[in-house]
Amino acid sequence: MAITFLFCILCARFFYVQIAWSGELAGRAMDQWTREIPVVAERGLVTDRNGEILADNATAFTVFARSNAVKDVESTAKKLAEALETPYEEIYQKLTGKRASEITIARKVDKAAAERLEKLSLDGVYFSRDNNRTYPKNELLCQVLGFTSSDNAGAAGIEKYYDAYLRGTNGELLYETDLVGVRLNGAAAAYKPAENGYNLRLTIDSGIQTATESALKRMARQYNPDCAECIVLDPNTFEVLAMASVPSYDLNNVPRDDISLLNALSRNRVVCDIYEPGSTFKVVTSAADLEEWKRGNQAAFSPTHVFSSSRTRQVDGTTVKCWSNHANGKHSNQTLAEALNNSCNPCFTDIALSLGKETFYDYLNAFGFGKTTGIDYGGEASGMLLAETAVRNCDLARIGFGQTIAVSILQLACAVAASVNGGYYYEPHLVKEIYASDGYVLQQNEKKLKNRTVSEETSEALSSMLEGVVEKGSGKKAYIEGYRVAGKTGTAQKYENGHIATGRYVSSFVGFFPANAPKYLALVVADEPQGAYYGSVVAAPCAREIFLSIIDMKNIPRAAAE
Amino acid sequence: MTVRRGAVAEKRKNNFFTGRRSAAEKPPRGDILLIVLPVILAATGVLFVYSASYYSAKVQYGDAFFFARKQFLGFAAGIVALVLAVKFDYTKLRKKPFRYIFYFVSAALLALVFVPGVGRSNYGATRWIGIGSFTLQPSEIAKFALVAFCAGYAADNMEKIGTFRGMLPVLAAGGGYCALIIAEPNMSVTVVVAAVTFAMLFLSGAELRYFLMLAVPALLAVPALIIAEPYRLLRLNAFIDPWSSPKEEGYQLIQSLYALGNGGWFGTGIFQSRQKYRFLPFAESDFILAVIGEETGFFGILLLFAAFALLIFRGIKTATQSSDFFSFLLASGITLTYGLQTLVNALVVSGCIPPTGIPLPLISSGNTSLIVTMASFGVLYKISLSNKKAAAFIQ
Repeated sequence: MAITFLFCILCARFFYVQIAWSGELAGRAMDQWTREIPVVAERGLVTDRNGEILADNATAFTVFARSNAVKDVESTAKKLAEALETPYEEIYQKLTGKRASEITIARKVDKAAAERLEKLSLDGVYFSRDNNRTYPKNELLCQVLGFTSSDNAGAAGIEKYYDAYLRGTNGELLYETDLVGVRLNGAAAAYKPAENGYNLRLTIDSGIQTATESALKRMARQYNPDCAECIVLDPNTFEVLAMASVPSYDLNNVPRDDISLLNALSRNRVVCDIYEPGSTFKVVTSAADLEEWKRGNQAAFSPTHVFSSSRTRQVDGTTVKCWSNHANGKHSNQTLAEALNNSCNPCFTDIALSLGKETFYDYLNAFGFGKTTGIDYGGEASGMLLAETAVRNCDLARIGFGQTIAVSILQLACAVAASVNGGYYYEPHLVKEIYASDGYVLQQNEKKLKNRTVSEETSEALSSMLEGVVEKGSGKKAYIEGYRVAGKTGTAQKYENGHIATGRYVSSFVGFFPANAPKYLALVVADEPQGAYYGSVVAAPCAREIFLSIIDMKNIPRAAAE
Repeated sequence: MTVRRGAVAEKRKNNFFTGRRSAAEKPPRGDILLIVLPVILAATGVLFVYSASYYSAKVQYGDAFFFARKQFLGFAAGIVALVLAVKFDYTKLRKKPFRYIFYFVSAALLALVFVPGVGRSNYGATRWIGIGSFTLQPSEIAKFALVAFCAGYAADNMEKIGTFRGMLPVLAAGGGYCALIIAEPNMSVTVVVAAVTFAMLFLSGAELRYFLMLAVPALLAVPALIIAEPYRLLRLNAFIDPWSSPKEEGYQLIQSLYALGNGGWFGTGIFQSRQKYRFLPFAESDFILAVIGEETGFFGILLLFAAFALLIFRGIKTATQSSDFFSFLLASGITLTYGLQTLVNALVVSGCIPPTGIPLPLISSGNTSLIVTMASFGVLYKISLSNKKAAAFIQ
C-alpha cells in the first residue's frame, strides 16, 4: 500500500540523515555549540646573568562582550564604565556596534578592575587573562631588550629575536553555550592549558650595564654628542656584559606614536650601525705586524724598529699625513710602542703597505672585518671593507690607521678582544641560557671559538704596549692606579660627501684590564662631541669611570706591584 | 460506493471477534487503539514540548514551563474533547442545518482573525484569535469542519457528486476556507486545506476528468503563490542548498539536520538535546520531530513513526469498515488530514521538501490543533464503534 511505501521512504530518509550523515552533521553542529576563550601563555622572563629580572609580566585582563548576550545594554555599559573608569559613551558605542558578535571592550585591564567587574557578573561580558609586558628597570638596556607589540609579540631587540622562545603557546577554554553565546549551566568546559614561554638569561650584568649607562650619560651631558655608545665585553668568552646607547627611552612608555623618533631611539647602534674607527683600529694593525714579525716575515717590523719621523708618506701619488704636525719632536724616532702611544699615523701606513694586501687582508679577515660576528641579535651590520681585489695601496695605507674602512662598534670590540685575549676570536652573544620556569634548561650558550687570530705571545706583547698607551700615551685619562688598564684612543674625522667635514669627529676609546689577563673590555664611542673631540679627552675618562665602577662592584683587588 | 460495499464484505470475513463472542454478551467496543494511540502520542507531545522549550521559554518568557503548561492544559482539554466526541452523535454533523452552521461558524472564526483587537499576529502573519491569554487557531478547526461538511454534503448528494455541478458546493466550501487562510497568510495550511478538499472529492467518487480539470490548475497555482511572496522562493532555494545561506534562509533546515544528525542511533537521551538551546527555531512546534530525533535517535523516530503508521492504518481500516457513506467519508477524511500533515511535517524536518509550517499532529505545541485532533480521533473511535455495532447487528 501507498502508506507502507511512504512509511519506508520516510524511515530511509531519517536513517540517512541520522545515521549515515550523522558524523558530518554532528561535527558541523559542534562548532556552533561551543565558544572558546583564549588562555594567554605567559611570556618568558628576561633576566641578567645574575637572575635580576629585566623584562617581566604583569597579569592583565581583556574584557570582551557578546552583544546579543548582553541583556540591558545601557546598564551594562554604565557598570562597565564605572568599573573600567572609561567614558560611558565609548563603551555604549562598542556594545551597540553591529559589526561583530564579539567585541573587545578593553585590553590590559588590571587585576583590581577585573575583580570589580567579576563581582558584577554581567550577562554577556567575559574576561580573558593576558599579560602586560613590564620592564622593572625602565630605560636600562632598552635598545638591546626591545619591546613587544600591543598583542604581546616581540617587536624589536631580544624580544623579537627570541620571540619564538619567549612567546609560548596559548591555550583555550572551551565552554558550551546557547545560540547567542550564553553559557549553559552545568555544561562542562574543556580546558587546554597554555604553555608558558621560555625565560632568557642574558650575558648582561645589570650592575655593569647601569654603570655604563650612567657613565655614558655623564659624558653626553659634558660633551653633548649626537649619540654615544658603549659595549663591555668579557674578552675570554665574548659574552656581552653591557651594551648601551644614549639617548635612550623608557621601555614602559615606548613612544609608539612617533615612529621616526622610536626608530632612532630604539636602534641598537652598537650592533646595527657602522663608523670609521680611526686610531683604535691601530691595535689590529699592530697585532698583524707583531704576529708576522714573530713568524719571521721579513716585511714585518720588529718591536725595536724605528719608524721614519717624517709626517707624510707618498702613496700612489697621494699624501698620507699624521694628525700631528710633528713639530714638538714627540713623533720622532718612534718604535711601534711609541707609535701607539702617540697614535702616529704614518707608522701604521708603513706596516699596512709593508705587509702587503694579501697578508694584511688575511688579518682583517681573521679579525672579522667585513662580515657579521654572528651575535644573537637581529639586523647586525657587517661593516664596509673594500674588496681585496679592488683595494689600492692608497686605500691600504689608510686602512692601516682605521680609515677607508667602516666597522660596527661590536666588530671592533671583538677584534680588539681577540687580539689581546691570547688570540682567540669567539662568537659574541647576548643570551647565556634559555630555560623554563621549572628549571629545565633548553639551551646553554657556551663560548664558541670561531678562529685564532694571533699567538699568545703576540697578544701578550700587544697588551703590554697598550698598557703603555694608558700609562704614558694618549690613553692617560683612563689610567687607574694599580689596575693595569690598557687601551687605545681614537679620533676619527667624519666624512661628508667624500670630503672631510671640519669640526666633526667620532671620539672613541677601547680599553681593557688587567692588561696581563684581560677580564673586562670596553669600547666607548661618542659621535660628534662638542667642546672637545679627542678620544683621549672625551671617551677615555668615560671608560675609566666604567672600569672604576666594575672594580668597586666586583671588589677587584689591586694588582701586586711588579 | 463499490469501495464501501466491498470493504464491508471483507470486514465481515476477517472480523477477529466473529464467532468467539456473541454481540449480546458484551456491548460492542470500537477500535480502542484509536483512543489509546492519540492519548499516548499527545502525552509524548507534552513531554517533548517541555524538553524542547524549557530553555528558550526560560530565556524568552522567564518561565521554563511557558509552553509545557499550555500544552498540558491542551492535553487535558483534548481528553475532555475526546470523551465528548465519543459521547457525541457524529451523524448529527451530516444533518442539514447543523452542517451549515458548523461550516459557517468555523468560517466566521477564520474571518475573526482579521478583526483588529481580536486577531493575534506572530512571525508576520495573523493566524490566531485571542481572548485574554486564550488563543485559538481557527484554521485548525476549519480543517475538521471542512471534512465534516464535505462528508455530509457528498453523502446527501451521492448521485450529484459525479457531475460538475454537484462538485461545486464542495469546491466553494474548500475555496472559501482557502481564501481566508491564504489571506492570513498561511500557505502551508492553505495547501493542506486544498488537498483535503480534493481528497474529499476523490473519495466521494468525483469523476476523474473533472477532478483532473480542477487539480491541474490548482497545482499550477502553487508556483504562482510562490512567486507572489519572495520569501517562499528564498525558502525554496535554501531547500535546494541550505549551506548556500546558512545564516538566513537555510538556517532552519541546517539546524534541523544538525539535531537529527546529533541523535544518531539511540539519541542523546531525553532532555539532552543540544539544538534546543535556541539553535533550532520552532523546536517545540513545527520542528519538534528534530528534537525527538536528537534525544531518542533513529530508534525513537522509528517507534514514533510506527505509532503514527498504526494509527493511520487503523483510521483507514475504520473507514473501510464503515456502514454508511457519511461515516466512510468522515473517517477517511480525518485519517487523511492528519496522515497528510504527519507526512509533510516529517518530510520538512528531514529536508525532503522545502520548509513549511505544518505542525506534527498530536505532538507539536499548539492547543487548538491538539484539542481538535484529539476530538477528531474521538469521532473516529465513535465511527469504529458504530461499525462494530452494525457488524454485530448483521451477525
